[in-house]
Amino acid sequence: MKKEKVFYYRSGKLARTFRYGIFMTLGITLLVGVLNLAILLVSLSVYKNKNIIYIGGGEIRAALSMTEEGYVLGDEMAQRLAEEKQWAMLLDGEGSELWSYRKPAELADSYSRADIARMTRWYLDGYPVWLRVWEDEIMVVGMEKDTVWKYPIEFSIPWIEFIKQVGLYFLMLNLVWIVLLSAFFTRRFMRTRERARIEWIAGISHDIRTPLSMVMGYADTLERNGELSEEARQQAAVIRNQSVVMKELVEDLNLTSQLEYSMQPLRMERLRPAQAIRSVAAAFLNDDAEGGLQIEVEIGGKAEQLTMRADEQLLLRAFRNLILNSIKHGGQSENVEIQIRMWEARRRFLIRFEDNGIGYSEEILHRLRNRKKMEANPNIRGLEIVKKIVLAHGGRVRFGNRKEGGSFCEMWFLRS
Amino acid sequence: MNLYEHKILLVDDEPALRRMVGGFLTKAGFREVVFAGSCLEAEDACRRENPNLILLDVMLPDGDGFALFERLHRETAASVIFLSARDEDENRLRGLGLGADDYITKPFLPEELILRVTAVLRRVYRIGQETEKSRVVDLGDRLIDLGSGVVCCNGDKDENAAEVTLTAKEYAIIEKLSENRGRIVTIDALCDAVWREGNYGYENTLIVHIRRLREKIEEDPSHPKHLLTVRGLGYKLV
Repeated sequence: MKKEKVFYYRSGKLARTFRYGIFMTLGITLLVGVLNLAILLVSLSVYKNKNIIYIGGGEIRAALSMTEEGYVLGDEMAQRLAEEKQWAMLLDGEGSELWSYRKPAELADSYSRADIARMTRWYLDGYPVWLRVWEDEIMVVGMEKDTVWKYPIEFSIPWIEFIKQVGLYFLMLNLVWIVLLSAFFTRRFMRTRERARIEWIAGISHDIRTPLSMVMGYADTLERNGELSEEARQQAAVIRNQSVVMKELVEDLNLTSQLEYSMQPLRMERLRPAQAIRSVAAAFLNDDAEGGLQIEVEIGGKAEQLTMRADEQLLLRAFRNLILNSIKHGGQSENVEIQIRMWEARRRFLIRFEDNGIGYSEEILHRLRNRKKMEANPNIRGLEIVKKIVLAHGGRVRFGNRKEGGSFCEMWFLRS
Repeated sequence: MNLYEHKILLVDDEPALRRMVGGFLTKAGFREVVFAGSCLEAEDACRRENPNLILLDVMLPDGDGFALFERLHRETAASVIFLSARDEDENRLRGLGLGADDYITKPFLPEELILRVTAVLRRVYRIGQETEKSRVVDLGDRLIDLGSGVVCCNGDKDENAAEVTLTAKEYAIIEKLSENRGRIVTIDALCDAVWREGNYGYENTLIVHIRRLREKIEEDPSHPKHLLTVRGLGYKLV
């Protein structure tokens, strides 16, 4: 087949949902991050003085000086320790006290190796302590009871190795989960919103029908009223014809909105597309009083027996819309020539409508290609419906212009 | 009973629409049209007036037209044409086989309404059945009598010699084509008419029957003038 500038329309509904999901995840992450940061900053400023700041054993040791009366602590350090409500003691290598300052009275003066081992990481009789060890001296710095909570952190090396290896994947998995969840909720949210919109449109289209019945009915009556002037009757004819246009608009609007959001309950049944094509073509030819319409139907050998599950009324509607479009944009010649071909490929079958008209303009092709939202362009409303009907049947559709002039629409469906 | 003597009950909650449709029906010649604006009134009117045909709006202020239809269906034998303002109803009307005779989607043109009403009345009350005369298909040089299923030469030639009897299948084909004379009848519609139990894969057999039929009704079967082939679509009787 010749190379033509074409495209396949794809729904991408799932992709869209996931895109929303990812955006939502990013949004939530950002929001949570900012919030956490704020909370952290606030709590830091509020609890600034409540942090554990113990004066290092080394510092205290440096402030100690040996005099004749034994160890003497510098005034500055003594003041600091008092302010921070901390105490300190210096033990020798054997565990006997060499010096102490503000040491609680209940604490002993000498400690066994077991005592020292016990206190290294924990508490000394309930007092939180920190040890600084030199070759033959140990400086113990302590705080008051019930001021510090201690907990050791230990991990086995294999575990750490394991975390190193899978941690990243684990994180990513979490991210995927969050995206999935967000996508799920987004979808639900979008569906509720869509449903509301569809119901609204359905309501409007319902409410407009009764008044339109009267516009249509009375305009028709006036048009046929022989007592009126020719001019008045022609005006009535215009009203009548325009009300028919409005009727079609209302029907299209409702159908489009339902197809757009896959809300149209499809009445699926097994049917032969070849048969549907023939019946539509025959109906158009039978209604063509002037005889300017030519429809050629070509069903490839095996395609004749193909069946598909489809909503018959919708499928017929799609075919009708395509023929109507060809008639409307007949263009060049007096005669509208339409070719409908159906043939099968390996796992799918194709139906192609061609005409000898003016073809689609770049703008219309662009609009048809744009898969975002419904366009309020009357020229493509019928084609939009074709697109949506084909998609609703799990098919793909592409529109384009033939090299030799005229437009084409090619649909393919999976064989079942 | 004349077609226009049938009594029609129109059920719709919009008075302006009732007036308009009532006007159309009267203008079309129906003498008795009665109205109801709700389910309650409709049931009442149905008992009192005993209409032949009911035009029933699907959405009524005090209930669903479908439910009302079920109730009325038990009480009266009247035919029912639904008036619907929702596309969604169309599925139900088409699919469920409620037993309604027809349905019209709003908005509609007066002629469409009158056409449907008269069609239903004709069908149900068998008014204006085709006479035997119209059951003869005149092809100019041949006459096909659908009453007896016989093809004979037109004119005053030796009639006995030219009489050919149609087989059941040929009869079904010619009947379907003559019903739609001048219009294309698709292969599928013909197969449907001939093999009612399912038309799947009979296309080739149909071609054989068409050929035999042409031998019986055409002057020159290889250059048919009456039973024409519309390539790719079906056949046409002209």
